[in-house]
Amino acid sequence: MKENNLIFSPSPNIHTSRTTPGAMKHVLIALLPAIFCALYFFGLPALSLLIVTVGVSILTEWLITKYMLRRPATIGDCSAALTGVLLALNLPANLPLWMGAVGAVIAIGIAKMAFGGLGCNIFNPALVGRVFLLISFPVAMTTWPLPDGGFGDADGATGATLLSLVKMNGADLDSFSRLSFLVGDVGGSMGEVSAIAILIGFAYLLIMRVIRWYIPIAVVLGLVLVDLGCGYPIGIDIISGGLLLGAVFMASDYVTSPMTRNGMLLYGLLIGVITAVIRRWGSYPEGMSFAILIMNGVTPLINRYMRPAKFSSVKKEVDK
Amino acid sequence: MRSTFKIGGIHPPGNKIADRSIELLPLPMTATLPLSQHIGVPAKPIVEKGEHVDRGQCVAENSAYISAGLHAPISGTVAAIEPTVLPSGKLCNAIIIKATQEEHDADTAVRELYWEKVNSRIPEFSLCDRYDKSEIIKLVSASGVVGLGGAAFPSHVKLASEKVTTIPELLILNGCECEPYLMCDDALMCAYARNIAVGIELMMKASGIKNAVIAIEDNKSEAIKAISAAIVSREGVALRVLKTKYPQGGEKQLVEAVTGRRIASGALPISVGVIVQNVATAFAVWQAVATGQPLIERVVTVSGDIPAEQRRNYMVAIGTPLAELPCERPPKCRSLLGGPMMGSPVVRYDASLMKGSSGLTILSGEGRKAPMQCVRCAICVEACPMGLEPYLLSTYGRLRMCDEAREHAVADCIECGICSYSCPSNRPLLDFIRVAKQRSRK
Repeated sequence: MKENNLIFSPSPNIHTSRTTPGAMKHVLIALLPAIFCALYFFGLPALSLLIVTVGVSILTEWLITKYMLRRPATIGDCSAALTGVLLALNLPANLPLWMGAVGAVIAIGIAKMAFGGLGCNIFNPALVGRVFLLISFPVAMTTWPLPDGGFGDADGATGATLLSLVKMNGADLDSFSRLSFLVGDVGGSMGEVSAIAILIGFAYLLIMRVIRWYIPIAVVLGLVLVDLGCGYPIGIDIISGGLLLGAVFMASDYVTSPMTRNGMLLYGLLIGVITAVIRRWGSYPEGMSFAILIMNGVTPLINRYMRPAKFSSVKKEVDK
Repeated sequence: MRSTFKIGGIHPPGNKIADRSIELLPLPMTATLPLSQHIGVPAKPIVEKGEHVDRGQCVAENSAYISAGLHAPISGTVAAIEPTVLPSGKLCNAIIIKATQEEHDADTAVRELYWEKVNSRIPEFSLCDRYDKSEIIKLVSASGVVGLGGAAFPSHVKLASEKVTTIPELLILNGCECEPYLMCDDALMCAYARNIAVGIELMMKASGIKNAVIAIEDNKSEAIKAISAAIVSREGVALRVLKTKYPQGGEKQLVEAVTGRRIASGALPISVGVIVQNVATAFAVWQAVATGQPLIERVVTVSGDIPAEQRRNYMVAIGTPLAELPCERPPKCRSLLGGPMMGSPVVRYDASLMKGSSGLTILSGEGRKAPMQCVRCAICVEACPMGLEPYLLSTYGRLRMCDEAREHAVADCIECGICSYSCPSNRPLLDFIRVAKQRSRK
């Protein structure tokens, strides 16, 4: 409204410089080390898969907003690109490209846009895409390539020095324990292979204050608790498989995680516990995706019961 | 250790960029005094149209238990008593006083002499011994003193508080001024620390409270220095430096930061044995008792996106039209009475300054950005100083779900603006929370 050249709007009249697209971009930046590692270890197939998932994700969202919803395009908020990247990082690098494209269409079309777009989805889109592929194409989804890079040093990945850096995916838990630390020739999803790259991304997200530590730490804690209970080697369990990638980048997704600190802690803890339970006793070797999706579904319930501590809930507690 | 309140809070850019010295703004030729510029019942006019009034003369009196009188800020003739537009656009009956050039010149001379005297004399603490409890309260009441932090609650009511059976144990002087841009309390504390100290002791005597704490945020080092020098060796008066965090100046947050006690929903500070007054109110009390000048002037910060030399603190006569505050506004801007977080938009520039107006903030640009979908990032929940769930309350407001809003304590909202400020999706959370708050009121 304008009168006498005055513009008036109710308070507050200043606004933070933080934006939602900005947060998405920060997450993309935080994923760079993991992307770089994936490209280094898996080479060209990884790059082409990444390009396909990102491209199809963005295209799907654009087509849906333009021709089905007839709304302004939302691809500018970077969330579609982020979903594409996360999906790629959760796939084996040698997956046929058309499967990656199918995953992206499911992720964006079904898991995200069908629910109303960014902010309205109940389940993490990238994980829905991944689990759809896992169930539909179980063989392709569990054939892990060896980490010899298309433009990295093919022999570098098998060296002993990489042991700590390239703790391979525990997707196949039996083979993993058989090999016991001799991980040189075990593959994994593109983004899972380097724990350090993921931790660098985690540190970046914390420093930029994009996410809080609650969920990732609680996830690890939940897993550790179960491991302690059944005497499983904790260190390997943490850095193997999709646990770290899931804890840092998927479980902490704003849209599908709870709204309060305590809620986030409970949510993370249960993801860790469910993951460990699936890994130990489930029929799938890897449980992170399922754990996160299950807890995504529980999030509204957590929001309902885990309320923030109100300022005025304590009625004169310290008043004599 | 520097304490602060526990739940939520943010650190918006402080922008305390105005000059800290206080300049006398020339008196206006016309002063408009809305009868309701305090919390409570509007004052009752005791002058009539056409009557001559002197500067400082009472023109409207207390009409109820919670009410405050009004005094003529300039000498002149009562031109009208009629509805006028407040800066916010609301209508309110007001006394309009017009001065002739001679009256204006005479007032200006008297005023300059007055401030010269105030500035040159060192206020004496012995002043407190000359008056007893009821005399101080009577003087404060007769001077129309109200809380100058913004809410404008009549001060004599707080000091006397007939309804309270036990005497509160602590008087907290609010010198936080956590709003960005505003510096009027800071300026006042730097220039009149000792006057404020005497005013505090007057308040303590009037209310029977034995202990007082002056709370200042740690970003005001000069004010801290000045106040600590002024209260040195005074018994029962202490300085408390708080960690800077918005909205520390909020009554509930301030009481918690200083005492660790939390005020229950809908309760007043008195329920935890505390009374909160603004430092500027202490100065007004000192003025009322020591000099006999009623509340006809106050310090106002003019700041924001205006030329640097215009960002200043002025001593302004209450009733001065906003247009007389010198500021070159950029072509596209928002003018706010108060600071950017809680200040209300100025709808009319010919409206006048009131007792509770602490500043005029000019912000360039259109302001609001287009809202996006909520991504449930939980930043608003984490930042809310009342521990509420702004995203939820805002949705309740939008959908008019009053019962649910009430259930989730929408009435606790202090409208500090943090939720809307910190929302990365630019959602107007507070707008809808206000709707929920109003509609769920029983």
